Amino acid sequence: MSSPGQLADGSGGPPDAAALHAEFERVWGNPRGWRALTIVNHSVVALRFMVTGLVFFVLAGLLSMLMRVQLARPGQQVIDAETYNQAFTAHGTMMMFLFAVPVLQGAAAYLLPKMLGARDLVFPRLSAFGYWCYLFGGLIFCAGLALGLAPNAGWFMYTPLSSDVHSPGPNSDFWLIGITFVEIATMAAGIEIAVSILRTRADGMALHRMPIFAWAMLVTSMMIVFGFPPLILASILLELERAAGWAFFDPTRGGDPLLWQHLFWLFGHPEVYIIFLPAAGMVSTLVSVHAQRPLVGYSWVVVSLISTGFLSFGLWVHHMFTVGIPALAQGFFAAASMAVAIPTAVQVFAWIATLATGRPRWNPPMLWLAGFLATFVLGGLTGVMLAFVPFDWQVHDTHFVVAHLHYVLIGGMLFPLFAALYHWLPLASGRMASPRLARLGFWLSFVGFQGTFLVMHWTGLLGMPRRVWTYDSGMGWDWPNLVSSVFGFVMAFGVAATLLDLALHWRFGRKAEPNPWHADTLEWAVGQPPTSYNFASLPPIDSRHPLWEQPQLQSAIAAGDFELPRAAHGRRETLGSDPVSGRPREVIHLPGNSVLPLLAALLLSAMCIALLARFYWPALAAACATTVVLLRWSWENCAHPKAAAGEAFDLPKGLALHSRTFDGPGLWGMGLTMAANAALYASFVFGWCFLWLVAPAWTPPAKAPLDVWTLPAATGAFIAGWALLRQLSGRLQHGVDQGLGLRLLAAAACGAAGCAVLGKALAGATLAPTRSAHDAMLAFLLVYLLLHGALAVLLALLQAARVRHGHVGLQAPYEPGVVAILWLFVVGVTAVAWVAFGLLPTALAGQG
Amino acid sequence: MTRWRWDHPRQLVLGLLLWSLWFVAVYGGHALACRAGAPAPWIVTGLLDCTAIVVTVLAWAAWRCLAAARSLPAGVARFLARSAAALHAVAALSTVFVGLPILLVPACA
Repeated sequence: MSSPGQLADGSGGPPDAAALHAEFERVWGNPRGWRALTIVNHSVVALRFMVTGLVFFVLAGLLSMLMRVQLARPGQQVIDAETYNQAFTAHGTMMMFLFAVPVLQGAAAYLLPKMLGARDLVFPRLSAFGYWCYLFGGLIFCAGLALGLAPNAGWFMYTPLSSDVHSPGPNSDFWLIGITFVEIATMAAGIEIAVSILRTRADGMALHRMPIFAWAMLVTSMMIVFGFPPLILASILLELERAAGWAFFDPTRGGDPLLWQHLFWLFGHPEVYIIFLPAAGMVSTLVSVHAQRPLVGYSWVVVSLISTGFLSFGLWVHHMFTVGIPALAQGFFAAASMAVAIPTAVQVFAWIATLATGRPRWNPPMLWLAGFLATFVLGGLTGVMLAFVPFDWQVHDTHFVVAHLHYVLIGGMLFPLFAALYHWLPLASGRMASPRLARLGFWLSFVGFQGTFLVMHWTGLLGMPRRVWTYDSGMGWDWPNLVSSVFGFVMAFGVAATLLDLALHWRFGRKAEPNPWHADTLEWAVGQPPTSYNFASLPPIDSRHPLWEQPQLQSAIAAGDFELPRAAHGRRETLGSDPVSGRPREVIHLPGNSVLPLLAALLLSAMCIALLARFYWPALAAACATTVVLLRWSWENCAHPKAAAGEAFDLPKGLALHSRTFDGPGLWGMGLTMAANAALYASFVFGWCFLWLVAPAWTPPAKAPLDVWTLPAATGAFIAGWALLRQLSGRLQHGVDQGLGLRLLAAAACGAAGCAVLGKALAGATLAPTRSAHDAMLAFLLVYLLLHGALAVLLALLQAARVRHGHVGLQAPYEPGVVAILWLFVVGVTAVAWVAFGLLPTALAGQG
Repeated sequence: MTRWRWDHPRQLVLGLLLWSLWFVAVYGGHALACRAGAPAPWIVTGLLDCTAIVVTVLAWAAWRCLAAARSLPAGVARFLARSAAALHAVAALSTVFVGLPILLVPACA
């Protein structure tokens, strides 16, 4: 490594801070006007995520007010039953999918690069693409609301209520298509945040020095990678059933509505912790800063976060205790539901111990934190009550459950979020919020919340079911409902005061002093508000609390005293670090602003709208156009001149641009994408086994519809292609590039042969997916394998073209290794298909 | 092939990954065995054996990680080994706790 401030080519030390700032702004600066739509910078994209999420939060909150007005008195006719159904479905959906997760991911995307000592996230264009998908998906969903066609089957969309028989209009389609579109953003952000945490930390920021919020987001992101795919699969299957009549959830055709419940809650329960863990990370950060002492039990909190991440995947059936699960199986899930409370309690004790042994100051963030602790602990306790099967049977689908989930989600997410917003506002805007308005907002929200939802437990224990639009007088529900409605409005005023404070402070707030809370983490060293590039030079770290131990770090960073202190070469650079030690391994060069993410998201929106209208040819055309844009996007990558501008002689000694190595964030990104894809595929295989074993009318045909050699032949062809890719990647590592393009073409030919086998099987098999769930599953499998095989072929051909244009070769050997991961995945899924869909049914039929 | 290390970051997830596999095995195994008409005492014995093996492996892994942590100087390796020891222990305790219903609730009921 070069010494601080010295360039590897010996061209001298850095210029002064102002000149350095101008130099970086030329490369990293954000355009204005229409060109602002091309911005990919993490700070801007993340703020867009948060502002959009807060707008959806306000809309969903207004819907809840409408519901509280309707329920305030018995026999009310303020809205009709259909409007009420749409209101509660849209409220739950928007809060969960359009507010909670995107806002927390937005906050993480804003903070993490700054906390970790990086200049941006690793895939900036993916961030921008994710935002546009989120915005357009959310707008498609809201269009249904505006047209009076919003989904009306509840936010968990149980079949058969959401199937075309009982929901024949487009209402459910708005949910399935709009929300699946939004999930692209969630998955993209989850993968990007995980890779960024692992690969772009400051020099020396080993895992044991990582900010606790980064640990929380790492666990959360991995949960998203494995938790969201079951829901994405379920949504695709249900939309196929509704639009094309394929049988997956219809018990008369061999399907089972319980499959939807399993797939939904396989996502749905981890989702609660996907929402809570980022908030827990914020709380751990904030209690430490506002108590002015290190977090008590840092290692134990890390252990708790990881434990919660795993245990939360073993709880999903506790949402299904009333559907007829065997008692012993219920016992497993009841025990797991109780066990998950323990790591959460460890964190609560760590926070209390930190506050008790520190010097907490009762400022607005601390008020919200106190509100969080009181509320969330109560929500956790009612959660343990619900883990008891007999109690769950009594209160299932009553207002008790509604009260519990609001204690957990508002207490466990909204209160910490407001604490975090008040804490980090001075960083984002350079101004302080109004303490008076902040206190008013908190106390109205807190009192209003308790008045609304504490009473709602009682309403539920009195037997009031959730999702009824009105009720008769004399059930004992009149007063509790009136109290909940009145306090609901008190809470609404509190939230309004808080949002008003947050909005007004950008203009009227007093200027914040540097690092006003005397925080310890690196994000406060980037300036208030931050520059577009965060750090003019990237500092080394030897402590978990860099700003407590080096308060002058910010000026040294701005003066260019540390690594990568130049931008004259025109590249956007940050250090690529070792995932464990944090030591630099390469220099990651990041792509700049581009209209391609917006264009791709617009075309995908067109595809979604065409699917909603059931115009399938325009939808196919939009899908093809999206593919072309994505290929163009991937062309401007790695060694392409637009991606790695300028000469690379000014790097720190021993480091190279990542596209010139065999290491880089793309490998991790592709690996995690395939892990998510594997989770989706595993959910599908689970569905196949579940229907085979459980569905009452499952009828496998007497003769297997697929030829016995189809899947092994396809597997063999894909293995041959993958082996060629592995071989050529190995040859590049040994400095041999002869026949690179030809080998890639040969790999593509192998893949094409595998696709041909699958295509022939799909065309030749006499499958009737509209008549039998068995055939629907097989048809889905073949289409899935075919699409993945075709993608593998396409990327191999693209690599061959890139070799021809000099973007891949000895000087840029990185990409074939990334593509090989996709090929390995295709080999794996085809082989698993052979076993699960070929050999296993044959064996079972033989036994029968 | 690299040497098996108790301070490797993979240890942070291996214990709970084994717990997850055990959980799927007992939940799915119980359903399949009941459907196949296996006698309830056999099912209970099978589930208990599986649980005992997993708990033993996890407890042993926790002890090995702890021993490794004691021999390491302060730093990221010791942090990883100590955290891994705790996580293996969490997995072992979770297996015991979630497996308790096997003793208390009749199979296939």
